[in-house]
Amino acid sequence: MDTRKDQGREYAQGAMMAPNSEPEMIALDQASGMPMPEGDNAKRPATSPLQESLARLRRDKRAMISVGILVFFVLVSLIFPPIYQRIGGPYVSGVTSLNIGPQDYHNYYHEELTNQDQGPSAMYWLGTDNLGRDDLARLMQGIIVSLFVALFVEFFDITLGITVGVLAGYFGGVIDQLLARFTDLMLAFPGLLLVIMVAGIFGPAADTAFAPIPIVGANGNARLILVGCVIAFAVWPLMARVVRGQTLQLKEQQFVEAARTSGTTNFRIIMRHIIPNLFSVVIVVSTLNVANTIVGEAGISLLGLGVQPPGSSLGLMISEGQTTITQYPREILIPCIVLTIIVLCVSFLGDGLRDAFDPRSKD
Amino acid sequence: MVQFLVKRLIGLLFVVLGVTFITFILGYLAPGDPLTLLLGQHYSKAAHAALAHAYGLDLPWYEQYWNFLKHLSTFNFGLSYEYKNRAVWDIISTGLPKTMELGLWALVLTFLIGIPLGVFSALKANTWLDTTNMTAMLVLYAIPVFVLAVFAQLFIVWLDSVTGGAYGIQWPVAGWGNAWQYSWSDIQYKLAPIIVLAVAGVAYFARLTRTTMLEVLRQDYVRTARAKGMRERVVIYKHALRNALIPLITVFGISVGGLVGGSFFIETIFNIPGIAAITVQSVFTRDYPVIQATSVLLAIAVVLANLLADILYTIVDPRIKIE
Repeated sequence: MDTRKDQGREYAQGAMMAPNSEPEMIALDQASGMPMPEGDNAKRPATSPLQESLARLRRDKRAMISVGILVFFVLVSLIFPPIYQRIGGPYVSGVTSLNIGPQDYHNYYHEELTNQDQGPSAMYWLGTDNLGRDDLARLMQGIIVSLFVALFVEFFDITLGITVGVLAGYFGGVIDQLLARFTDLMLAFPGLLLVIMVAGIFGPAADTAFAPIPIVGANGNARLILVGCVIAFAVWPLMARVVRGQTLQLKEQQFVEAARTSGTTNFRIIMRHIIPNLFSVVIVVSTLNVANTIVGEAGISLLGLGVQPPGSSLGLMISEGQTTITQYPREILIPCIVLTIIVLCVSFLGDGLRDAFDPRSKD
Repeated sequence: MVQFLVKRLIGLLFVVLGVTFITFILGYLAPGDPLTLLLGQHYSKAAHAALAHAYGLDLPWYEQYWNFLKHLSTFNFGLSYEYKNRAVWDIISTGLPKTMELGLWALVLTFLIGIPLGVFSALKANTWLDTTNMTAMLVLYAIPVFVLAVFAQLFIVWLDSVTGGAYGIQWPVAGWGNAWQYSWSDIQYKLAPIIVLAVAGVAYFARLTRTTMLEVLRQDYVRTARAKGMRERVVIYKHALRNALIPLITVFGISVGGLVGGSFFIETIFNIPGIAAITVQSVFTRDYPVIQATSVLLAIAVVLANLLADILYTIVDPRIKIE
């Protein structure tokens, strides 16, 4: 009897607590980092909503640790490969009897058929795969590929999403109708299926078409341009829908009304008053979307439709590791664990950003 | 309600048209002439024309699309390019039961495990049990399904090496037994893929159920029920849970979409000859009619799930009539 009453009170308290954000407000004052003496408010620097959000994010331990890990992965993958290729002495190949330096055998595509499936050593820090390629070098290349696909997709996602979303929300009418229909279609059509179809049907053509492009097209990555475009095509309606919703709200705000009354053109209102206010929504949605994109690219490469050997990608490493899963589980575990860590960190960061920019959504 | 359903049906019809059009146009625009594959290196122009006529490839695109739609309505997907003179339906129909079995069991697991976990978390809200449970669900939801599949395979390999085949435990790492049969060896094949496919859905439903359940438990009528002195069990399972489940219906369609996406990886990694695996193989052999057929089937499965969710919602929640 008593326990039930207590429970009831607890829920009732929960109901009262939920909508307000009192703890959040107290925390905010701490966040500004100022001692806040009474009557000395003029000295306190004005904090913009953005600064407040960032302060909130900085206090989110899980998100900050995630940022640290992500930055570490990205920096290592971008900076370390050239250094790694200068570490280690020359080696006499068992196949060609030639002297091979680290600039070759620490390369992600160099195959040493006499050094297959080796465990971690001073020569191969993370071991080699079943073709005798250095797993650390392949891993770093894979992370770079994930990173660039994510950036590529987000660029198109944000550009298209904001353009169409703002137009649909601000003007309504035909664009709005078309966007709604198109979003329905893309939500019903499994995005992965679309990527598989397009990558499968046009993949070989994309290989020949994009391969001559320097840097991007080389190393079997040509098909990723196509894959990235299709992923962007599949995800932007979601971004547009969120932007549209936010625009509808902003449109009714008084500052927009004030701007309109004073004769500001629609174009100027959109550029100066609507789009800057979309920042928090867009950053949250796109961060959460990055996790999906990275998983999508890895999955497509795993199915053999993305990065082509001898290029490297986390998904490709997983599918190659499958052949030796019973004898050398290390080869498949490394990309799996790294991919998991990256995806978890991006998700945690996305969650942290959402909580920081919109504290009410926390529950 | 009828008005609402008709409106939704028209919307879904548009979606089906869009889906079929996308699949058709991709196959239509596909580079290369599939017929040269069939004819070999040396062929006469007449033979090429005859074959093009047989496949209906000599018609303009809108007529081809119309034929495509007409054939779809009778489940006639035409002939395969890869296996000459073999109907696409023949190829797909071997894989369809396996994919359906995999998906349906994963869906059942999603509900049977996800919802109780969510209710449990809501009842223990803000205790360490809740926090641990929800963190685990967040992690499981974020981990890609193919990584989970690999972990499951590694676990099976480890289990086999530890038990050494004793007690009849020599679990297969890949493969699928007989469709819709459940002997001991069939179950050994099916357990791991089904569980792995269900994990993301379980995690999603657990988190969602917790949210909706907490919301319902705050309602006045729950307090009234408690104040009347009802047993806690009745309050939770009869008053709260029923209403907490209503919002879950709307995400039913989304979870089916997730299962369709996941089945590509599960079938590839566990080597299950379902239609998702057939699709991936057909992509490599450039067997467009097969790809079109499986894509349309899978997309329509998602569309139907959405429709089912709408119908269920109108039945369960009468307020929808007002809209």
